[in-house]
This record gives sequence, structure tokens and C-alpha cells, in this order.
Amino acid sequence: MSRKVRIAQLSCGPEYSGVQKEIYDAAEAVDAEVFFPDIALADVERGVDAFGLDVRSADLKLMIARAMALVEGKVDADGVFIGTCFRCAEAAIVRNELRRYIHENSRLPVVSYSFTERTTSGTLLTRMEALTTIARRRALLAREEQTGITMGVDSGSSTTKAVVMKDNEIVGTGWHPTTEVIKSAESAIADALEMAGLTREDIQAIGTTGYGRFLIGKHLEADLVQEELTVNSKGAVYLADHQRGSATVIDIGGMDNKAISVIDGIPGTFTMGGICAGASGRFLEMTAKRLGVDITELGPLAMKGMGVNVPMNSYCIVFGTQSLVNALAAGSSREDVAAAACHSVAEQVFEQQLQEIDIKEPVIMVGGTSLIEGLVHAMGQLLQTEVVVPPHSQYIGAVGSALLASGFVKGE
Amino acid sequence: MAEYTPDYVGTVTKYVFVESPSMTPGELALRAYEASEGVLIKETCFGLQVTGEPDSVDRLVEEIRSFDPTHIFIKDRGFPPGDPRRCRANLGGARPGYLGHEREFRLLRYITRGLEELDRREEGEAEPAPPAREKRPLLDIKRLQELIDTEES
Amino acid sequence: MAKVFIYPATSLILSDLVARFGHKPLGAALGIRERIQTAGVDSPPLQITPEEPKRGLKYAAVEVPSGVRGRMAIYGPLIEEAEAAIIVTDADLAFGCMGCARTDELIIFSLRQSGIPILELKYPSDEEEGVQFVAAVKKFLDGLPKEEGGA
Repeated sequence: MSRKVRIAQLSCGPEYSGVQKEIYDAAEAVDAEVFFPDIALADVERGVDAFGLDVRSADLKLMIARAMALVEGKVDADGVFIGTCFRCAEAAIVRNELRRYIHENSRLPVVSYSFTERTTSGTLLTRMEALTTIARRRALLAREEQTGITMGVDSGSSTTKAVVMKDNEIVGTGWHPTTEVIKSAESAIADALEMAGLTREDIQAIGTTGYGRFLIGKHLEADLVQEELTVNSKGAVYLADHQRGSATVIDIGGMDNKAISVIDGIPGTFTMGGICAGASGRFLEMTAKRLGVDITELGPLAMKGMGVNVPMNSYCIVFGTQSLVNALAAGSSREDVAAAACHSVAEQVFEQQLQEIDIKEPVIMVGGTSLIEGLVHAMGQLLQTEVVVPPHSQYIGAVGSALLASGFVKGE
Repeated sequence: MAEYTPDYVGTVTKYVFVESPSMTPGELALRAYEASEGVLIKETCFGLQVTGEPDSVDRLVEEIRSFDPTHIFIKDRGFPPGDPRRCRANLGGARPGYLGHEREFRLLRYITRGLEELDRREEGEAEPAPPAREKRPLLDIKRLQELIDTEES
Repeated sequence: MAKVFIYPATSLILSDLVARFGHKPLGAALGIRERIQTAGVDSPPLQITPEEPKRGLKYAAVEVPSGVRGRMAIYGPLIEEAEAAIIVTDADLAFGCMGCARTDELIIFSLRQSGIPILELKYPSDEEEGVQFVAAVKKFLDGLPKEEGGA
């Protein structure tokens, strides 16, 4: 068995919120151990002075000093988990500044999270898994070329995607709404194989990702079962042909959103989540339904409209839908409503998540929602940049899995 | 959800810190063992931790305090000694409370001084105050002139 | 013997002086001990379960961070029980149970609101201040009722 991955915890409040055990459990589930960097009182006093952020809370001072010990190499770690209480402004400032500081001054992967007493280990699991993967599988993640014949399956909350790759080319794709996890995967795989003109026996290695990755992985006897943060980062820079240097990957999913700051194809810092489905692809699906168009038509429709003409705030999916209905009743055009819905989702992601990572160009949007032109446009406007949507962006997880799985092709 | 079954129910644990030029934690421990009467004693780098029935612990810590009253300091502890949840070896680093102790440890010599001074004052109340404690009389102007003259000659 | 809330609640110096001069110090250790010695759902390291921040709603509203409410679930009952308090106002490096400045502000405010006798002072920074510190604490404690329960 490999050595446990050591994750340094920088936090204020989890013991008092009753969630420290959830952090321990999430780490243990991915064979990692959480520890608290050992420093002395003099380090705290010196650290706070040197860092220059005069916070009042002593535990935040402790976080700063511990972060400095990690960056200065006085304490060894494989990754860093930064956690503070949700709704604490003082802690949010420290959390963001430390994340930036560690990211800029070390090679340590960082994940930050603001918890409440309701945070569970399940919520933290994907993040911890990504942290350990980056630490444990740097060699695998360094792969920039797909070899042999491999398949990737992405079992997402809304849709299941499958991709077959051969000699660095995508030769087959399949896409099905997720109903029964295994059945949907089988359908997507059958389509991808048919398109590729290959059979299951031809496949030399399989990778799975997404919510259903464990179930599908077991069913297919996959070589690689991997969370979507590292897989999507890899897939995004591969498809966008930007494997070296910095990039930002945004994936607005059906159930949650991912924003990942990537260096050389490996996630540096990332956030995952979303307060409400109002900031997700689900809201756009509802909008399309209400407007009587297919989700694929929502994007072009939005491009014809002006979002500013319709007040809409999809912070909550219920209120968001209400303003959508009100706008239509008040005579707003379908185009304007579609544009407003796209803008609102982009704004929620921008406000809630993109503040947690450093945006570095190129900004690459992936996942099914990246095909909604209006959403990409709205995001570009908010970020004041040209957003890149690579070909096959909707298959991002499947492509990333197929690419990484080729590390398991025999003879490799 | 895992069940939690506590150990040491009904006991109290107290920290005993010693900050003394004449007594090491080791010596303190030796003397404390002699007086322990079944109370659990654990030696630490700063002094001791004692654990047992509340009354026995109170009796013992008062006796320990009497070894060197102005250099021994006592405080309640929530955890029993050696608890893995607080152990540095398991946490990777000192628990936050340790750094707080470090902060106050630096000040103990001032508290010691205060306790000594107060003892002296209280003893002093019974008898006339020592002359050194008297407010120094202002220097008489004639006496000052004499001093200057002596210096100059 | 009066029950004297000490601030910082983790203070060795205050805990020692209060007990030394014949009263009962109320500090973080008592709240933690109670939890560590009570059977229930396993929630290391402090046995503060996710239920505690909910109990903390008695002392701080729901929009207050969970860490503040969880800490107040420990301190609130101790503050209610206290018959006097000693507050060190420059305790800027008290960690863990005292590590959150917002909780600390709320604790001091609650103590001041409660109407109990309070001594506020600063940590000594030299021997002379050490003498003044101990003298002030002793004088304050000597003025509190010595009888059990303070009644």
C-alpha cells in the first residue's frame, strides 16, 4: 500500500462547528491523513508580522503562521486544506489570501472550503480525492498524449458521456441522459463503440469519472476511477491544446460547478459547489423548458436577446424561476429572458466561485453547458475576456478519463 | 454515526505548571508521587497533570502548591492525560491551547513577583512596615547644596 | 466561594489566581470536560457535535458563523452560571477555544450585560505591573462572597 498522503489543515472553527470529524473521514476515505503544521508561539508572532495581515482572531493568526511554515519548507506536506466558517468575513479574507499565497509561492495543491455545521464528509470527499490524486499521481497527470485504444466514461448527475480514443484522436462519442446509472452508461458506451467501429474487446484501458464513477468503474472493471476535478482539468487543457502554463477551467454542471486554476494541466486551486441549483445547468434546463425550446436552442436564442432588459437573480432556483415567469407575463421577449437566464447563472458562478480562484487566461469553459452560446458569452463579459470552448467540450470528463487511462495500456 | 464512550467519567484533570529556579518538573513529580494517595500523576515538560476524583485532586494540588507557592500554578484541563485527540504525535503539531500556555508562561515570573510582594505586604501588616518601603523623603535643599559642595571640592 | 468566569477562558494565570484566592474559576476546560465525559455521537477532537452550533442559537442568530455558535454553546451556560468575572483585555494570543475574535467580543459583551461584578485589566509586562495585577485580582476576589453559592 502506498504511503498516506499528508494534507496540512489550516482552519478556524471546524472543531467548534462539529465538523472536524467530517474532515478526518473524508481524508481517510481517500487514504490521506490530515495534520496540523507544528509551530511555536514565536512563529505565530513573527509570521503575522511578516505576512502583514492584521487579523484579530488568534486562530486565523495561527493559520497564517502555519501557511508560512509550509511555504518556507519548515513543515512538509503533500497538499493543503483551508477551511473556515461560512459567513465569517475575517476568515474569508484570510482563506483567500492564504490560498493565493500558497499557490504563488509553492507547488502545493490547495483546496479551500467554507463549512457550516451541516457540512458532511461526502461534500468534502471529491475535493480531498483531487488533492490526494495531485499528490499521488503527478506522473500519471503529466501525460499529454493518448495512446492505444482507450475509453472514458463520465457519469454525471444529468447526463452520461462516453468517448473512445485511438492514437490521440477521438473516434467515438456517446451521450445519454442519466436515468439508471449503469444502463445510461451502457447506452452511451454502445453509441461510442458503434461510431468508432470497435467492440468492447478492442478497448485496452478504461477510465471513469463523475458522480457515478465508483459504480460504473466497478461494473466496467475500469483501470482508473477518478474524480472530475483532475480529470476535467486534464481534458480541458488537452482539448484546448494548452497543456503547458496557466489556464482557468470552468465547468457549470447539472448539480454543481467547478472552477479550477490549472498549471501545466494539474489543478493548483479549485472550488466546487454552488449555493443553489439556481447557479447551475439545471436552471438553464428549466428556462428552456419554460420557453418551450430544446436546451440546444437556448444558447442561440439568448444571443439574440438583451439580458439587461429582464431583472433576474437566480441565487435561488425557485425565485429565479419566479422572475422568469414574471418577466414573460410582463411581456418580455423570449430572447431577452433566455439571455437574462444565461447572465444570471454566469453571475452566480462569478460571484460565488470565481472569487475563490485566480483567473488566469485562457479561460476554458467545458461541460454540456459550454455549448450554450449565451452562457459562454455572458461569462466572457463578466470576466472581460474571450472564453475558449474547445471541440468536444461536452465530453470533457470522458476525454480526460480516456487520456489518463492510456497510462494503463499494457506496454506503456 | 459512530458511538462515543467516554473514559475517566467523573474525574477531573488539572495541570500543574512549575516555573521555579529551585525545582524542576522531575523533582516536583517525585514529591507529588509521595503525596498522591492514588491520584494519577503524569509528568510533563512543564510540570504535571493530575487526574482523579475531584476532592482527591483538590487536596493533592493544594499540597503540591504548598511545595513552592509562588512558583507553582494550577489550571483545569478538559481532557484526561495522554488523550490521543490532543496528542501532538497524532495531530502533527501542538494543539492550539499549548501556544496559549506558551503566551502566559512568559508572564509567570511577573505573577510570581506579585505573589511574593503580596505575601510580604500581608506579613508586614502585623508589624511595622520595613523602612525600605517608606516613601523616600524629598531631598532637603540645604542637604543638596552640601552634596554639591562636597563633590566639587 | 464565588463562581468567577475567567477571560481568556483558557488562562492559566487567572484560573490559578481565582482558585488560589478561594473561588471557583469558570473556564473553557469545564465546558470541554463535560463534553469529553458525556457519551453520545463520536465527534473528535472536542466532542462538540453539529448539534452544538444549533444550541448556540440561544446566544447568536443563525446568520452568525457556526464556529461562533458552537463556541457559545460552551460559554453561554458558563456565563449564565457566573457570579463574577475577570477579563484580561489584551489577550490577543489565546487560541483554540478563545481563537475566534467575534466569539470573544460576544463573550465580553454578554458578561458586561449580565450585571455581575467585573474586573477588567491588562496582562503585566514587568514586575511592577505583576504586583499591581496580582493585588488587583486579590482585592477583587476578596470582595466577593466566600459562602457556598454566594448567597
